[in-house]
Parts: sequence; C-alpha cells; structure tokens
Amino acid sequence: MDSQTTADKHHKKVIDGQGLFSANKAQQSSNIDGEQAWIAQAKQGCQSAFYRLYEKHHKSIYALCWRMLADKDSAEDVCQEVFVVLWQKINNFRGESKFSTWLHSVATNVVLGHLRKNKNWLQRVFSIEEQAQNVVEASVHLTDDSTLMMLDRHIARLPERARLVFVLFAVEGYRHEEIAKMLKMAVGSSKSQYHRARNLLKESLTTNDFISVEEELSHE
Amino acid sequence: MNKQVPQKHLNQGHEHQGQLPIDKLISDKKLNEQVANLANEMSPERDLWPGIERALNHKIQVSLGDKQSNVFVPSAWAASIAMVMLMSWFTFSPSTVEQSVPVMVQNQQKTSPTPGQLVNFMQQNFKLQKQTLLASYGQPTVDRLPVAMQKELTQLADARASIRKALLTDNNNADLLNLLDFTQQQELKLLQQLYRQYQVI
Repeated sequence: MDSQTTADKHHKKVIDGQGLFSANKAQQSSNIDGEQAWIAQAKQGCQSAFYRLYEKHHKSIYALCWRMLADKDSAEDVCQEVFVVLWQKINNFRGESKFSTWLHSVATNVVLGHLRKNKNWLQRVFSIEEQAQNVVEASVHLTDDSTLMMLDRHIARLPERARLVFVLFAVEGYRHEEIAKMLKMAVGSSKSQYHRARNLLKESLTTNDFISVEEELSHE
Repeated sequence: MNKQVPQKHLNQGHEHQGQLPIDKLISDKKLNEQVANLANEMSPERDLWPGIERALNHKIQVSLGDKQSNVFVPSAWAASIAMVMLMSWFTFSPSTVEQSVPVMVQNQQKTSPTPGQLVNFMQQNFKLQKQTLLASYGQPTVDRLPVAMQKELTQLADARASIRKALLTDNNNADLLNLLDFTQQQELKLLQQLYRQYQVI
C-alpha cells in the first residue's frame, strides 16, 4: 500500500511537474483566448463579458490615472470614466495591438481630456509655473497614503507637466514625439520636462528615502 | 503598463545634480531601478463597478462607421458663428464692427454715451450664443451633467455675474470688460465640451 501510495504520489508529482509549465502556458493562452472572447461579447453589448475585462484591467488603469492625476478621488472618477468610454468605443478595437496597450491609450486620452476640462478657468489666467506650484502644494497633503510606494509619493509631488511627461515616458513607454502631440507642446519641451522631473525626483529622493524604498520592497 | 518598453528611455537625462550634497542624492541607476520596480497595478479604495454599470445602461456603443458627432459639432459651430455675425451686423454701425473690446472702450464715450451699453450688448450676445449652443444639443438640462461639472458651471456663472456687477459701477474698465469676455467664452467652451462628451458621443 505504502509503495503504491508513494508511487501514486510520485506519479502525481511528475504529472504536476510536467504540467506546471504547460499548465502556465495553457492558462496564459486561455486567458488571451478568454479575453478575446470577452472583447467579442462586449462588442455585442454583453455587460458580464465587459465586467470580466474591467476586473482584469481596472487596477492597471487606476494606477495610470492615479499617477497622472496625483489625486485619489479624481483617479477613481476618471478610472470609471475610462471604462464608460471603453464601453462606447470598444468596437473601434480592431486587434491590431494588444488590448491592454489600446486600453492604456484610451485611458491616457481620457485622463488628459479630464485635465483640460476640469482645469479651473481662473487657473488659465495664471502662468503655468504658478499652476505647477499650486499642484505641488496641493499634492503634498494628497499623497500621505502609506500604501503607496515612496517613488509614487514623490512622483505625485512633481509639477503637473513634469509629472505627466515623466509618467507617459518612463512608466507608460510613450515616445517624446507622441507625448508632445498629446500634451500639445514642442518635442523639446517634452524632453526638458522629463529632465526636470528626473532632477526633481533625484533631489527629493535622498539616500534616506531610497533606504525606505528598499525596505518597502523587501517587505512586499 | 509595460515595463519592457520604458526601460530604454530611462537612461536619458543625467546632467543636473540639484542643490543637495552628491552623497545624499540617489544615482540615475537607482532611480531607474525604482521606476522599473513601480507597481503595475493599484487598487482603488471604493468599488468602481456599480457606478460604471449604472453609466453603461445609459450609454450607446459607437459602431465603427458612426460619424454622427463629427458631422454634428461643425454644424453647431457654423450655426453659432452665423448667428453672431448676424447679430453684429444689425447691432453695430460699420465704424464699430471691426473694433476690439478695449478699443471700443476707449471710444465708448464718443460712440455710445449710454453707460453700460457695451456690457449689455456683451451679455445679450453671450445669451444668444449660449441659446444657440444649447439648441444645437437639443436643449439639454444642466442636471444631466455630473455634479462637479454643474458646480464648475455655477462658479463661472457667479464669476460672470460679479464681473458684470462691477462693470455697472466702473463701465470704462477695459480689464474688467476683457475678463467678462474671457469668462463668457470659457463658459461657452465648457458647455460645448461637456455636452459633446456627455450627450453627443
């Protein structure tokens, strides 16, 4: 009995072991197939399929919104808006790129549209630098969330334009030419804002903070 | 989103070292590492789905060939511009048609002795443009917009009313007139953007 049990266990382990790689591969494949099916169903107006897409992607979209807006409440509202816009425009997805890539570009446009719309009209009278200063000051008390990584807290304190360029370039992987078009600025301005953001981050992230960051990472 | 692509970007921009001592600053390499380690996902505190679900029930999916909004918006603009041009033609004499607001203010005493005439004209013109804009969107009610947007519109309307009030006592103030004009245009732009997004998409 024992030998049989051991053999069974061994057999099972071998099967499990053999299956591990192929199971992961199969799971990935089925996830992709599942996503394709959800997209197709959502295009037909199926809300439960759309919910599956939401479940899969909403955390990464929320992260994008949070980093660009540096405000939890706005990020939550805009994240909702992204999925409403996605519902309306999902028929425009033709599968030429990964769905997540396309969704992130939709989300980026929604966030930028939100920023343009909701900018207080009085702020438009003041200079960009003054606006940026206001954003920095406003962000300080908005970024006390202890669950955030240290770097995210520092990114949130960047002036708006520098933050947007930094997130789009360094985190989202857009090119400066694309960012310049999105933010309606010159390519050179996008590059200089990126350098500015890096320098500000390096100034604010002192070695002490960096130790904290490492500690945070080791705790995860 | 994709940590593979941005990595190639991260080595750009190494010059300036700021005001802190060098040993207190983190290096470019460490900054790059930290960026690469940023979480791909964050969890919102509240459940966002119920709000999305409610919105989905009122939204229509756009099909690939749907170009309705692209045709409709220029029509609305054309109607607004035509209305403003007609209004200007019938209201102003030829000598004042091509003058800007500040120039008109400078000449106001010569051309229009009635106090506040320009302010009233601006207000009437604004109302007309607003009515035309709203008509082009099927006379929507403000309460169909999100609360934050309603608040923004109310603030703009309040600001416009305050400036107008100030102008009644100081009707030669060119800065105030410019501000009134700016506020009116902002309100129209905001209305246009909002109704385009929330009703016409």
